[in-house]
Amino acid sequence: MSAPAETLLAYRTADVGYAETPVVRGADLDVCAGEIVGLVGPNGAGKSTLLRAVTGDSRLLAGTLAVAGRDVRELAPLERARLVGVVPQQIGAAFSLPAREFVALGRHPHVPRFSAPGEHDREVVQRAMELTDTARLADKPADELSGGDVQRLALAQALAQEPRVLLLDEPTSHLDLNHRMQILDLTRQLADEGMAVLAVFHDLELAGRYADRVSVVADGRVGEPGPPERVITAESLRDVFGVRAVVGTDPVTGSVSVTPVVREQAVERGTRGKVFVVGGSGVAAPLLRRLVLAGWQVSAGALNSGDADQLVADALRVEYPAIPPFAPMDAAAAVEASRLATSADVVVVCEVPFGHGNIDNLLVAVRAKKPTVLVGDIEGRDFAGGAAASYWREALDHGALVVASADEVDPSAALTAAHPSDSSPASGGLGSGPGV
Amino acid sequence: MPSDRRHPSALAVFATLSVALAAAMAAGLAFGAVRVPLADIAAAIGRALHGGNAGLVDTLVVQVRLPRVILAALVGAALAGAGTLYQALFRNPLADPYILGVSSGAGLGAMIALVLTASVTAARYGAVPVAAFLGALLTMVVVVRLAGSRGRLDATSLLLAGVAISYTLAALTSFVMVMARQQMAAIVYWMMGGLSAASWGYVAMIAPMFALGIAVPLLSTRELNLMLLGDERAGHLGLPVERFKVLMLATAALLTAAAVAVAGLIGFVGLMTPHMVRLVVGPDHRRLLPASLLAGATVLVLADLIARVVLRPVEIPVGIVTALLGGPFFVWLLVRERGGVR
Repeated sequence: MSAPAETLLAYRTADVGYAETPVVRGADLDVCAGEIVGLVGPNGAGKSTLLRAVTGDSRLLAGTLAVAGRDVRELAPLERARLVGVVPQQIGAAFSLPAREFVALGRHPHVPRFSAPGEHDREVVQRAMELTDTARLADKPADELSGGDVQRLALAQALAQEPRVLLLDEPTSHLDLNHRMQILDLTRQLADEGMAVLAVFHDLELAGRYADRVSVVADGRVGEPGPPERVITAESLRDVFGVRAVVGTDPVTGSVSVTPVVREQAVERGTRGKVFVVGGSGVAAPLLRRLVLAGWQVSAGALNSGDADQLVADALRVEYPAIPPFAPMDAAAAVEASRLATSADVVVVCEVPFGHGNIDNLLVAVRAKKPTVLVGDIEGRDFAGGAAASYWREALDHGALVVASADEVDPSAALTAAHPSDSSPASGGLGSGPGV
Repeated sequence: MPSDRRHPSALAVFATLSVALAAAMAAGLAFGAVRVPLADIAAAIGRALHGGNAGLVDTLVVQVRLPRVILAALVGAALAGAGTLYQALFRNPLADPYILGVSSGAGLGAMIALVLTASVTAARYGAVPVAAFLGALLTMVVVVRLAGSRGRLDATSLLLAGVAISYTLAALTSFVMVMARQQMAAIVYWMMGGLSAASWGYVAMIAPMFALGIAVPLLSTRELNLMLLGDERAGHLGLPVERFKVLMLATAALLTAAAVAVAGLIGFVGLMTPHMVRLVVGPDHRRLLPASLLAGATVLVLADLIARVVLRPVEIPVGIVTALLGGPFFVWLLVRERGGVR
């Protein structure tokens, strides 16, 4: 094992802000040589403010902030520029310096006063431009380049400083997919070579993929940094961003994957009745989302862990009996499903194949004897030896509505059909069905 | 225009500009109310260097035209230098000492000194440039404070503050003029910008201000380049931005004061020259600043020549010439940029 990495950036109970007003309070954060620490959080939470304190662009109002063991307030600008490189969110290119001269300005802290840049400086500039894939732009005026090119030039300029600490403030927000990965892969490589990187990410998946540790900045607080999969969770996304999301593991990269499902604020609360949905294999996910958004209180039949419907149900906080992956429903799950179905106002059965493992879902849905909506036809979906088809007929006999696809499911219509005179909790809902 | 924009080599630029300045100065010595052949000029200067004087022509060349040409060159270079600094610090190609009100501030300061020292000519050489410098500095402080009262200095509020302060200063200047009625004609003439009072005394008066005023920025061209990136970025790259700005603004005020103290209010040279030079040599101050100084000197020597010969033997204030040439030139620049050069 190698020796513990040197701490190159250390915030200690730091209050950071502008003028006399703190934006972030009590920040405790370390960035060591060789690691990328990502800051995530909602807009305006103070991520950039925290980062900018290192270069004096925001103010350290209390606590301490040290770069390579030195108090930032005691670092002379040139010393600081030799230790810390910054890639800002966006760089104004209101100048027509050729790209190479633009990058060469990054050598300023290393070139002594009254002397000209030497061979070594030119080599460093050339290497920085090659690393960032900007060497071919060397003679072009910087103000005629695209935003992405300028952003990579800004990184090249920061690399020309040969810093030990690199600060990235949403460095890839203006880049296309290719250059985004290129910049972040390069950042990873620089960290592996011993640089300490503190980066603001607006993209959670990029943070999860490239950062060794992630800290959530929200409400003026800096969360304790930890591995991305521990910090970026459905709970933290709901608390911090107000978004119900499916958080999983990307099958290709193995890093955190985030699929936002609904915004918390978009959900109408308690204005509709209860709907019980039988789904599985992802056939019900869009319907679950639509019903939750429309304000229905949604529950579901048993779902296998890891199933797409299960992940979305979790994100939406839909109640359902959980069963292990690929396992059949057991008695407990059937009892729980039955309880949910009988307490619902409307039951919806999605176009899911039925076998011995999940036939109980259909059974409890039909036996609940609630206004029912059936999606599609049972033909070709009965793998339970005829049981599914017989329950299906039973439902039809009780007056269940049939729709062609899950998109057409309207619980209000089912309620209206079942109680034509009743002003149900769903009256005036999602395009009420025809009166009978 | 090809995207690979190349600028001529530094050597070619400085050689061309030096030749142009030398030619302009030679013309400035040769032409005027009377024409003096170049050979006679050389002879007169030669004799003067050995303490000799062969009559009226020698006096004309050595005591009248030579200081005048040198003064024109210094004033032109000072204005162009100040303009280059303002344009770099504010990242605004429209900034110049005239537009920012600094010239007017220096003018008011100089005028107050002129009026107060009306009876003691000797005191003027000390009081006028010092008062001009204080006026310039004070104006700069007020303009920057006004424009940046909410944190950042943006270009529009800077120019607006400059215009507002200029009007106020113009009113104050008129007021002082009314109070010193017996000197009004002289003051008005001086305010229009002129070099007709040029003398070796004036040259000696502003030479130290000029030397200091160009030495500091010439030693800071790398830092001026950093300012092209904006305050924040310049800070990231190790520039103590606030301190540097204060130093450069003081230097620009010094250059402006030197020019105004001897030549009154001369517009457009500080605006036009750096702008024009930048189109040719690019934004790198290691080339832009010295080239602007040379070009500014050349422009004002030529403008002064035109002022002397166009209504010969009557002179017009050189400020009228620079404004008459500069205004349309600037419009042409704007139109050219709008039309897009392909």
